[in-house]
Amino acid sequence: MIEVVLNDRLGKKVKVKCNEDDTIGDLKKLVAAQTGTRSEKIRIQKWYNVYKDHITLKDYEIHDGMGLELYYN
Amino acid sequence: MANRTDPSAKSIRGTNPQNLVEKIVRTKIYQNTYWKEQCFGLTAETLVDKAMELDHIGGTFGGNRKPTPFMCLVMKMLQIQPEKEIVIEFIKNDDYKYVRILGAFYLRLTGTDTDVYQYLEPLYNDYRKLRRKLPDGNFTLTHVDEVIDELLTKDYSCDIAMPRIKKRWTLEATGSLELRKSALEEDFEEEEEKEENDQVDGMDEDVHDRDYYHGRSPARERERDRRRDSHRYRDRDYDRDHDRDRDYDRERGRGRDRDRDRDRDRDRDHYRLRDEKDYGRDRDRDRERDRDRRERDRGRRRSRSRSRSHSRDRDGGDRDHKRHARSISPRRPDREELKKKKEKKKEKKDDGTDHPDPEIAEANRLRASLGLKPLK
Repeated sequence: MIEVVLNDRLGKKVKVKCNEDDTIGDLKKLVAAQTGTRSEKIRIQKWYNVYKDHITLKDYEIHDGMGLELYYN
Repeated sequence: MANRTDPSAKSIRGTNPQNLVEKIVRTKIYQNTYWKEQCFGLTAETLVDKAMELDHIGGTFGGNRKPTPFMCLVMKMLQIQPEKEIVIEFIKNDDYKYVRILGAFYLRLTGTDTDVYQYLEPLYNDYRKLRRKLPDGNFTLTHVDEVIDELLTKDYSCDIAMPRIKKRWTLEATGSLELRKSALEEDFEEEEEKEENDQVDGMDEDVHDRDYYHGRSPARERERDRRRDSHRYRDRDYDRDHDRDRDYDRERGRGRDRDRDRDRDRDRDHYRLRDEKDYGRDRDRDRERDRDRRERDRGRRRSRSRSRSHSRDRDGGDRDHKRHARSISPRRPDREELKKKKEKKKEKKDDGTDHPDPEIAEANRLRASLGLKPLK
């Protein structure tokens, strides 16, 4: 179980607990549940790499405590 | 400039009509080439030509969230605000289904509650196929009535948030709307009559259209009252069976079917009797009938058919006799069901929602609601 921090630099900073083998799509659903936006509207990036929905966190090498950027579609 | 709303346009729901589409999607539409090239300087007449050329519906798609031409045309309609008659013409036209959907969508966004139900419900009878673009860029098959159902029941479609409209039964209660008459109503009535003839005593088969939307109608409260009463009269077993039957009813069938089943469910007798035919639990049936008789007596005040109540009373007397006659039947089936229930409940807890740490339990509950496995 890892905890990921998502920050949109406009005031929304959320910490989400998830498994390593969750996909980015699942992470978006968890974030959507916490922030209140729709999961389809959320975009998770790291610098200019937009993370794709079907790939797991483990494959993206996202570790515990790592920060991701939260953008909206 | 091209993106400004027509100055003579009215404000919708207190704001610039274009603001019905949220900022990010709106910006994407303004930057779209279809919008810039084709939608420049469109009027209501030329808009019809463009609408006839549509061949799919959808929201934004792709990594870039590119809007579909359908969305651009909806935006254009919001910008020029055609008259209500024109929109109704769009909906009434039979030849071009995408024009119809465009009109329906626009009316859902801008029309009053009564108008929305009045003009969109006839479209439930249109079964034509539509092509829908998914967010990943692929196409999928859908139908006109499915889309209309989505417009009327959900609050989000094609990447545009729908304004809230009142539930149908609220409007019926205030008298602004008539009860909904489905095109399939005769078929259902035939089916119900057939069932009634098969069964021993008369059933209450009022068509309660009121709760056919998933709103919390008075009928629901009646169900709740029934549930409460049943606690008083029966032991726990029957309540669990209730829940099971009700859930089963809810899951099976969609739309009209579901409502019909809910109607039947309300007089749970139907279901019970079917079960009993299978398992032969006479004692349950008698108890059930007594209970339903009592409930129906209560519900009779609100129910619409008064004539049936007389026949029911007569039957009630007979039922009492039967109950005393057949008091011995095996209790075992109930115990087995109890066991199954316990196991089912235990299974659910393996989801991780009973984790000692409350935070993790909470997280697991959220995950279970989203359909994800628990945290490791």
